[in-house]
Amino acid sequence: MGHGKWDDNAYAAAKTFRAAKGIDDFGYTATMRSRPAKEWKADPTLDPKNVDARECRDSPDHADSTPIAVLFDVTGSMGRVPQIMQRKLGKLHGLLQRKGYLTDPQLMFGGIGDADSDRVPLQIGQFESDNRMDEQLRTIFLEGNGGGQKSESYELAAYFVARHVTTDAWQKRGRKGYLFLIGDELNKPRLEARHIRRIIGDDIKEDIDPASVYRELSRKWHVYFVLPNQSSYYHDQDIADHWRDLLGQRFLKLDDPGAVCELIAATIGMEERVVDLDQAMVDLAEIGSIAESKAVGKALVHVGGHTVATTAAPPQLDGPDDVTLT
Amino acid sequence: MDGHVIVVGLGFGDEGKGAVVDALCHHTPTTAVVRFNGGAQAAHNVVRGNRHHTFSQFGSGTLAGVPTHLSLHVLVEPIALAGESRDLTALGVTDPLRLLSIDADALLTTPFHIAANRAREDARGHARHGSCGKGIGETTWYSLLTGATPGDVVENHQVIGTPGPPPTVGDCAHPTVLRTKLDTLARFYEPLIGDGPPVDDLVSLYRDFADAVRITTGDEVGRLADRGRLVFEGAQGVLLDQWRGFHPHTTWSTVTPDNARTLLGHRHATVLGVTRTYQTRHGAGPLPTEDDHVLTRFPERHNGTGHYQGSWRAGHLDAVLLRYAVDACGGVDALAVTHLDARDLHVATAYDAPLPTSDLTTFLHHRTPTLTPMPDPVTWLADHLDVPVLVTGAGPDLADYTVRAPALR
Repeated sequence: MGHGKWDDNAYAAAKTFRAAKGIDDFGYTATMRSRPAKEWKADPTLDPKNVDARECRDSPDHADSTPIAVLFDVTGSMGRVPQIMQRKLGKLHGLLQRKGYLTDPQLMFGGIGDADSDRVPLQIGQFESDNRMDEQLRTIFLEGNGGGQKSESYELAAYFVARHVTTDAWQKRGRKGYLFLIGDELNKPRLEARHIRRIIGDDIKEDIDPASVYRELSRKWHVYFVLPNQSSYYHDQDIADHWRDLLGQRFLKLDDPGAVCELIAATIGMEERVVDLDQAMVDLAEIGSIAESKAVGKALVHVGGHTVATTAAPPQLDGPDDVTLT
Repeated sequence: MDGHVIVVGLGFGDEGKGAVVDALCHHTPTTAVVRFNGGAQAAHNVVRGNRHHTFSQFGSGTLAGVPTHLSLHVLVEPIALAGESRDLTALGVTDPLRLLSIDADALLTTPFHIAANRAREDARGHARHGSCGKGIGETTWYSLLTGATPGDVVENHQVIGTPGPPPTVGDCAHPTVLRTKLDTLARFYEPLIGDGPPVDDLVSLYRDFADAVRITTGDEVGRLADRGRLVFEGAQGVLLDQWRGFHPHTTWSTVTPDNARTLLGHRHATVLGVTRTYQTRHGAGPLPTEDDHVLTRFPERHNGTGHYQGSWRAGHLDAVLLRYAVDACGGVDALAVTHLDARDLHVATAYDAPLPTSDLTTFLHHRTPTLTPMPDPVTWLADHLDVPVLVTGAGPDLADYTVRAPALR
């Protein structure tokens, strides 16, 4: 060992590490992958089918709950982001709480795939405030695959959050939750009724325009789309234009995919007006995320340290105040 | 043996620490094996039936299914680590990297360090120090250079360029930081080794490494210790210790149990000193009891001559150095005695002059030891050092090892 040629050794080492790459932290994925693809399915705790609602409720310990939903594109190279997130979960939670960005954050994770081609196009967990969120994250099936169409079923996930999530933050206090979609592609041109029926179980007869889903969603949620520098789409103007049309300044490009956790924390701190961009950078440095803070700063610089919280909800809202369960 | 155990070699390495750690892990449920010094140059042999592995960066409890934690005192070489992982997979260990956690502050040994180490050792010609050629000393040296400027002399080596902060395992997850450090490192060593490997390739490789292993921050050893029993696996032997060994034939590492004790905080641990029934060493340096007859009587299956490390040497058990090693450890609580299958042994109980307090190396090079027969090494060592012998080994295989419960004292 160590005496061979650099190229050979390095190649073999990289291959070894990639083969081992944290995938076993995602034990469910490892188990599923060992089976034929036709048997692949979401863990029951993450299956959105026939779920009335995922709830983010206050409790005696957590009287001021704020929902944070983080939904990852788990196709292709994006599958790494949940793994990064898993390693840094403690940091995210610590920053939100210890720095007073939020008193009682509750996190929910989910996975987004392609309803046209994936076996498991949508996974949605529960809101958790303890170690169970780590467990939830590791139970997400990282299906991989993806390909070609430059679109994933983000709008299907958005629909679920809009229609099937209830939060005390909104119902009791009129406070919005935080939804982070992390991906690198476009929405599907239409949210197809047949996909909603098959994957979520709602009896919907007509296809829905994705833009209307995001309008409905943004009444109760601060919705962000994070594009980490992880694929060739990072520099694709179509993707930037598409998401900016939908979310305006809440479309965030992130140079370092390793900084997703830090970006989420800083974004929330700024949206809550607890910190401005400069202070968020200081806080990140304090928890040891010095390199990440640069990427985060760059991602958020266009959002601006002081204006972000004033972004008004888009006009022409429709839909009921509460989730209607049909 | 219940409770935390610190396994430390009392010779020049090759005492049998690997087999002792494996036996301890086999005997009592163990939460983790913690490495507390050294790096990829460790070579700890474990034999279980027809399975044999020379442990280098993985802990020697791996075949017993025990996870390894590499503490901040370990120098980590990811490329060799990957190779070892593949070897372990071939031996039937399922996903060995899964068993590994590494402190983010552990220093990285890179191909630049390795090339520089070899370049220096080659330049020494016949005056070699007995380095393994794996970049260990170079990694430590570079880490001491922060703030130094070209032309300074640090630890007898001239600073040949402008150094930067040393790359650590934690940096591997931060490409921007890592790239800056590696660029500086590459420029620093360019006069000595020319072009090293492309930094971009290394950054990418180390990123994959960071994704494949669990990198820990804070008091991971404390967390592990609170969960259950730990076995601390020392690399090399105390006679090679950077402070207490015989210069320049030392390793740049604290071999004594000090690091392990610090990592454990105030928790109690049994310090288990490991010795063979005779003395051995690799390469150059003093070996007062050296005897070719001993060498030819006990050929080594797993120790040969290394290109950079030098030849394999042997001699009679040296009780003077053994006592010196025990003192260097601040005392030991118990002994593990290996190679009890070797018979008809002698032991050196004294030299022709008492140990001086300085220039031990020169002193040891010119000694005539006083030899006496040693019929039963276990009894002799327990009496001579006044500590119980709790682990015995009479062969290379796990089956040859016995772990005894400590007697009440």
